[in-house]
Amino acid sequence: MKNYFQNIWQSITTLLIGLGITIKHMFKARKGNVTLQYPEEKWPRPERNIGFDPKNYNIIRSKLHVDIDDCIGCRKCERACPVGCIKIDALKVPKETDLGLTSSGTTKRLLISRFDIDMTECMFCNLCTYPCPEDCIFMTGGPNSEKQPLDYEYSQYDRSRLIFKFANVTKNDIRRITTAPPVQQEIL
Amino acid sequence: MGLVHAEEMTLNIGPQHPSTHGVLRLKVKTDGEIISEITPVIGYLHRCFEKHCENLSYEQVIPFTDRCDYIAAMNNSFGYVLAVEKLMDIQVPERVEYIRVIMAEYNRIASHLLALGTFGLDVGAYTPFLYMFRDRERILDLFEITCGARLLYNYMWVGGVSHDLPLGFMEASYRFLDEFEKNINEYHNILSYNKIFIERSADVGIMPKDVAIDYGVTGPNLRGSGVKWDLRKDEPYSIYNRFKFDVPVGTGIMGSVGDCWDRYWVRAEEMQESIKIIRQALDKIPREGNVHEALPKKVRPPKGSIYFRTESPRGDLGYYIISDGTPTPLRVKMRSPAFTALSALSEIATGWMLSDVLVILGSLDIVLGEIDR
Repeated sequence: MKNYFQNIWQSITTLLIGLGITIKHMFKARKGNVTLQYPEEKWPRPERNIGFDPKNYNIIRSKLHVDIDDCIGCRKCERACPVGCIKIDALKVPKETDLGLTSSGTTKRLLISRFDIDMTECMFCNLCTYPCPEDCIFMTGGPNSEKQPLDYEYSQYDRSRLIFKFANVTKNDIRRITTAPPVQQEIL
Repeated sequence: MGLVHAEEMTLNIGPQHPSTHGVLRLKVKTDGEIISEITPVIGYLHRCFEKHCENLSYEQVIPFTDRCDYIAAMNNSFGYVLAVEKLMDIQVPERVEYIRVIMAEYNRIASHLLALGTFGLDVGAYTPFLYMFRDRERILDLFEITCGARLLYNYMWVGGVSHDLPLGFMEASYRFLDEFEKNINEYHNILSYNKIFIERSADVGIMPKDVAIDYGVTGPNLRGSGVKWDLRKDEPYSIYNRFKFDVPVGTGIMGSVGDCWDRYWVRAEEMQESIKIIRQALDKIPREGNVHEALPKKVRPPKGSIYFRTESPRGDLGYYIISDGTPTPLRVKMRSPAFTALSALSEIATGWMLSDVLVILGSLDIVLGEIDR
């Protein structure tokens, strides 16, 4: 009998303690700590407001971006990718052709005819960005905001549109540059 | 009176069920409401981890180990990285060791918070789940400024870590730990000592010591049964022998040793111990140092094999790696602690009510990504 009432007493007290905590939380809630109606309203700056300056981020994971003008076609990123979502075609050009310099002063020797990144396959491991000798492949935003602003809203209606094509040469360009001397060769 | 006879009914739980913590199917044979047999059917989340490893270089395997136990990705890659380092005989800098321990313990707290929160959810307590997720979120924020990712980090590398600690990490850590310690008491008040919760979980799903050992159950589940076994203490790896911490074991305060409440309690106490370890590590960590110092140019271990085990939040996580001297491992086998915990389910859940199955399953804290791999 005593046990019976003790049980009831314990249930009531522990429930009230829990209720007290929830009530305390209800009044203590941080101002503005409410759900954001996302597509209509966003945080004032692109990154989530988590109390840290995005400049202090070590790195960010978001959409991959390539500065194709800096790419020398070394394919290091392609080899580092565990899922194989980067596909590069680099064409050999005749020696006389001048493809220009990258921003760090390296001579470009290969014509990038294809640089596709399939963001449906990408697993955001960031392994492709480390070996790049020209720092031309990176994830947008965060510490890279100056190079490319954060882009996380790239959803599409069709899957094929998530394959981002970065190469900016046309077929005519390829024919013009590579056919000057008769030798045309694709390196693998 | 041959007409009335009880027939066993087969019930299917899952594969898509919120309480199975993933895609797990349970074939349950019930006699009335009492369970007479229970068979877990696994393999719905099989992603060919071991086959992938045969075709990838050692560095490229690390993101895949993260994806096995996605709740505690840091601990998973920690074990793999330590195994490869031992195979290659690499000494990592002091600062890297401390950073790794800090990250691993943070992830242990985050994993336990999720385990406790969803266990509360399984027995019907919704509010503590929200509070625990709020605190877990702050740990994930710390990870985010460090390595950019919130769940799958690819942070531990062979011979180092991908990035040094960011600006303001130490201050944010101390601030978080101070607030979090108070919050643990709050959780105890709102959930652990709640009479309804105790009635629901204490004396339910008792796993005796010998059953736990027979099935190879490790981690908090084993400690909940009263066995004092923690690899961080008994077989210290990395630099765990430099820290002072206790190994909490289940003592049967609310019911008997090895019940669901004990397993819950061990996890809650382990968070306290993790806080202790993180505090000591933050105090002792060398302020200067290059985290990329010991990174090998090419990860190409010599011929040989190794088995290395670490204490992940779910238990004894082992990696068996065979190297044939090429940049690709010949074989990577993972010994998953959640798998052994699930294998003991049929033994401990038999004889209990149907509604107790989900409570027992929740208390085992399984992650299906790690079971199916």
